[in-house]
Amino acid sequence: MRWLFKQQKKEGKKAETEQYLKKSQDYTQVSYINQVTNKKFTISFITTLIDESILQNDALPFLLEKPLENIEDVKKIVAIADVQISNDESEIEQKLFNGYVLVTLESDNSNFAFLAAQKEIVRNITTPEIEFSVIGPKEAFVESLDQNINLLRKRLPVKELIKKEVTLGTISKTKVAILYLENIANPENVQTLMERIKNVEFDAITDSSYIVQLISDNKNSPFPQLLDTERPDRVAAVLAEGKIAIIVDGSPHALITPTTLVEFFSSFEDYFLNWILSSFFRLIRLFAVAFSILITPIYVATLSYHYELIPKDLLNTLVTSRREIPLPPILEALFLELTIELLREAGARLPTKVGQTIGIVGGIVIGTASVEAGLTSNVLLIIVALAALASFTTPVYKMGNAIRLLRFPFLLFAELWGLLGILICFSFLLTHLIRLTSLNRPFLEPLFPPRVTDMKDALIRLPFNKQSRRPQFMRTKFPFRHTSGTNNQNKDIDE
Amino acid sequence: MKKVQLWSLIIIMIFATGCVEKEILDDVNLETAAGYDYIDKKVRGSALVPVFLPDKTVHNTVFTASSNLSRDFLRDIQRQSSDPIVTGSLEVVLFGEKMAKKGIVDIIDAFQRDASIGTDIYLAVTEGPSKKILEGNYSKRGNAIFISNLIRQNIETKDVPKTNLHLFLSSYYQKGKTAYLPTIRSIGKNKIEISGISLFKGDRVVDTLPAKQMFFFKLLVDNYSKGTFKVDMKTEKAAVESIRSKFKMRLVSRKPLTVGINIKIRAILIEYSGAKVTTKEIKEIEKSLNETIERECTKLIKRFQEKGIDPVGLGHFVKSRTRKFDFKTWEQTGYSNLKVNVKSDVMITESGVIE
Repeated sequence: MRWLFKQQKKEGKKAETEQYLKKSQDYTQVSYINQVTNKKFTISFITTLIDESILQNDALPFLLEKPLENIEDVKKIVAIADVQISNDESEIEQKLFNGYVLVTLESDNSNFAFLAAQKEIVRNITTPEIEFSVIGPKEAFVESLDQNINLLRKRLPVKELIKKEVTLGTISKTKVAILYLENIANPENVQTLMERIKNVEFDAITDSSYIVQLISDNKNSPFPQLLDTERPDRVAAVLAEGKIAIIVDGSPHALITPTTLVEFFSSFEDYFLNWILSSFFRLIRLFAVAFSILITPIYVATLSYHYELIPKDLLNTLVTSRREIPLPPILEALFLELTIELLREAGARLPTKVGQTIGIVGGIVIGTASVEAGLTSNVLLIIVALAALASFTTPVYKMGNAIRLLRFPFLLFAELWGLLGILICFSFLLTHLIRLTSLNRPFLEPLFPPRVTDMKDALIRLPFNKQSRRPQFMRTKFPFRHTSGTNNQNKDIDE
Repeated sequence: MKKVQLWSLIIIMIFATGCVEKEILDDVNLETAAGYDYIDKKVRGSALVPVFLPDKTVHNTVFTASSNLSRDFLRDIQRQSSDPIVTGSLEVVLFGEKMAKKGIVDIIDAFQRDASIGTDIYLAVTEGPSKKILEGNYSKRGNAIFISNLIRQNIETKDVPKTNLHLFLSSYYQKGKTAYLPTIRSIGKNKIEISGISLFKGDRVVDTLPAKQMFFFKLLVDNYSKGTFKVDMKTEKAAVESIRSKFKMRLVSRKPLTVGINIKIRAILIEYSGAKVTTKEIKEIEKSLNETIERECTKLIKRFQEKGIDPVGLGHFVKSRTRKFDFKTWEQTGYSNLKVNVKSDVMITESGVIE
């Protein structure tokens, strides 16, 4: 009796699904008669999701002309590899929306077959736009999960590269893949990540950024705690370090976790250049970050409280430039900082060609005009422009945004307590950074806790033969990058 | 509980902001140089405040007030100024001749206590009233910068020994050592020069060395010194530039108390009136230079001993080598009876590009 009830419910599910689907006009249901056995069969599919040429060339001719006695025969006659026979009606909805064609025989109501006929609409692989590099591979991820994993598998052709897939989002049913190298990655990290991803409850996940915000350790921090990248080569490289990658279907950005603060300031191009050059560029970038955050607050603090710190040769320039300005330094600085933020926001929202005009109008016209009108001093204009320029050197876009935001609390503290205020604000920032974790691993590592091995690829990057160990903070299963233990010395033939 | 802590922190922070005094750069008058004169039994203070003009030149304004205390005078000149006068950018402090003879430590005390003033400001004594020096018009960048650059340039590359507020105070408070400051005088309209060294006993000027002797003085008081010096020989004349000098004191004997001073100089020959410079000539120049240095330095030390001043710090040196050193007997008899042997060792390392 109970079994019967269940059966009815299942049947009811199929009927209910069909009833819903019929409301949409891209749902097709056609019945045919097999020419050999005279069996009547029905195919149903969603036209916008399937490739009709597959249906017409590889399925229908065989279904019509080859002997079709029962549902198992479908597997034998059609020229499609992925044919699944099932009797679970609850699968129907999901399979149809994944691009399968449903085949039912009139004589057999409880069993049915699914034929894979997905239409693959994939954007061509293009060059990376956000993390562009002059040297090195020019491939970037696209919006298709399979395509992205294909790019990764080509770079890491080993059986240890494990892919786990989870479907997230009650409405979007987004496929989220987790990739790691089983012989290297710390199982604890994998476990934590799997737990967190499985616990995500949300209706529609349309991009990997959603995942970042849903599984971050501290969701109230302005700092991104998962590194997002559009470069398959970067993902492949960090997988080999023992990190874990998350790829979300429909998103051209893969996520890397656990990550550290310094990783956000390393561009992947650093690894293509000689270690001296890349170390130099990294230091420049770090200097740019410090400069970008601190220079306007220092200007405000010095001019408001610490005139005695100004070198005597600079006094004349500073006083002359501020002589006509009615605003106190803080308002002057806020005015310019907000102008720059407006320009950036306007430039980001507008189409590229109009955006360039905005840059010129904003940079030159507003800047010059405000100096001439006596609203801002030209010294500050230079400082603010330089600070904005410096903030754009951050290789990861999301980190760049966080850096730009940080300037405003610093400005406030500088206005309230001068240089002491900047120091207080810096202590707050440092406390926050020290407490921050990425997948329960310290975010400020290797600076704090100090790890000498990891310093070799942090603020500077030492040559590859000096880096025989994988990053320490993840506690990888196998900490050495190669088994020999020697430092890849070049050997000449006569030695 | 955490929320209470957070909110009380925020509230305290908001109220604490009122405790900080703001000094916005363009809303204050920066005192960049000060001068003190002793006139009519009162201290007359002058403050030089630059006014920065739109064409980046500087107009020098001098505020003057008389009072008995250095700080008092600042309060008086505030009444003449549109913006508050602040002392943080002070570059140089001048003392008039009479003021310097009267004693300057009361005034310097004020600078020492003011946290906004660094100890690397320059002090100098002027011939005549200091106000006259401040009122000149020497450079487009302002008088204070001109005077302080003038002193610095001469310390770094020429014969003026290193001085600033810090070193002055250090020699002043050091037992067995006396202080010295450069002297500045006006030469014609809008021109000044360093005319010599004022030697202090305590905080009073008791002697002034002419510019001619500054080279030897610098050899005695600075460890590393640069400077130029002319040598007169039998027939020819030469000029040498010292590039490096080393000064070393040794206690030679205790009875009678004798101090040996070794001065080692590496120098370049920059001018020679003769036709050719050979090793022989260089030896001669070195020899005559050694003799001059030894003679002049001994003369200087004799002069110090007569006046009872000790800018070289001989007293301090002997004290550091003597157990149970008694300053009273040192001041009464010890210093004047001290024998000092000056030994100089000049080596000319270059005699010109073309040889």
